[in-house]
Amino acid sequence: MTITVIVVALALCAVMLFYMAVRSRRKKAGQSFHPVDLSAFRTLIDRDDELFMKEKLPRSKFVRLKRQRIRVTARYVGRIASNASAVLHVSAAVRLSPMPEVASAAAQVTELAAQIRIQCLVALAKLSLEYAMPSLQLTPALLVPRYQTLRENVRRLGDLQTQNQIPLASAI
Amino acid sequence: MSGRLIIHDLWIGSIVLQVALAMALLEKRTWRNFPAFAAYIFFCLFEAGITYALFGNKVAYFWAFWTCETIGIVLGLAVVREIFTNVFSPHPALRKLATMIFRAAVMALVLLACGVIYTQSANAKGMANAVLLAAEAARLVEVGVIMLLFLSSTAFGLHWRQNVFGIALGLGMFAAVDLVTVTLIGHVSPATQLAFRLARGISFSTSLLIWLGYLLLPERATSSAEIPKQAQLEQWNQAVMELISR
Repeated sequence: MTITVIVVALALCAVMLFYMAVRSRRKKAGQSFHPVDLSAFRTLIDRDDELFMKEKLPRSKFVRLKRQRIRVTARYVGRIASNASAVLHVSAAVRLSPMPEVASAAAQVTELAAQIRIQCLVALAKLSLEYAMPSLQLTPALLVPRYQTLRENVRRLGDLQTQNQIPLASAI
Repeated sequence: MSGRLIIHDLWIGSIVLQVALAMALLEKRTWRNFPAFAAYIFFCLFEAGITYALFGNKVAYFWAFWTCETIGIVLGLAVVREIFTNVFSPHPALRKLATMIFRAAVMALVLLACGVIYTQSANAKGMANAVLLAAEAARLVEVGVIMLLFLSSTAFGLHWRQNVFGIALGLGMFAAVDLVTVTLIGHVSPATQLAFRLARGISFSTSLLIWLGYLLLPERATSSAEIPKQAQLEQWNQAVMELISR
């Protein structure tokens, strides 16, 4: 009987998931880029001052502040992930360009955006762990240089695409 | 109108929809990009024809129906693999990781399916119940893999092409409803069994409509209009700065 309940619950979860997928697809149709202030993000994930705070502040206050910081960092990571996803979508279309250099640059951008997306998942997992255990220090350090490289590659792709007059790189 | 009559009408309606879908597949030459899906649809049409022809002969109908269902489930899994390839092939970095996750998940689902067979085999007396149990196990794997496909593409932020999304959605909806049907149909009264058969028929027709809709509607082009204007960017940057300084 238990296994029957599990199987039926799984099927119902599947139906819910499909409904949510349709809804999120409709929302994504109007998806846009969210700018990210990388220097601010760098400051947020730089944990050198954390040791100082840990020493000087009472534990309860330190935990509260650290959790606040993690929440803001997670929002940044979410934005980066969302931008990487949007870049994946746009570059996938540009990959079909008849100009080989444009197609090649788009392929590079796609690959990088995919890697960033994975990094974001790892970063969010690390942040969740830190949120649960504030004494941990698991900085998502790789994200900033990778995202910077993505911006540069997107800018290069925009330069190659003569018809694309809108500065995509500045949008992210 | 009795339940049996509604099921019969639904069956006829689904055959009409399958013919329309087969024609749409031929017209759009979909078999070039989705050979497994085209094979699945043509096989469903073949199954509908053969089971309709054998409807009067109970024994022949039973064997024809369950043989076709088995082949249909195998083809369904081939369609899932085709969708996976289609979604992840442009992203080699993600594909490697996704393949690893999928292998592990398929193994877990097969183990769960084996658990279903092991725990329920004692109650499954007779050929019909054994067949239902096998169908339940196979559908369980199919639904699980389709769910994982949706979850992983969401986690990786992938955008599905319209027709790929439609194929996965239609297949997933039908497989999920069929999983509930084959799981519960052996445990309920004949009147409720009829309701489950009706739900299965409706879900299959709905899936056919989803496939038809997603195949026939034109793909939404990616336009540069999605890229925001400079003024908007400044506003957003301001909002982010406010968020940090909070």
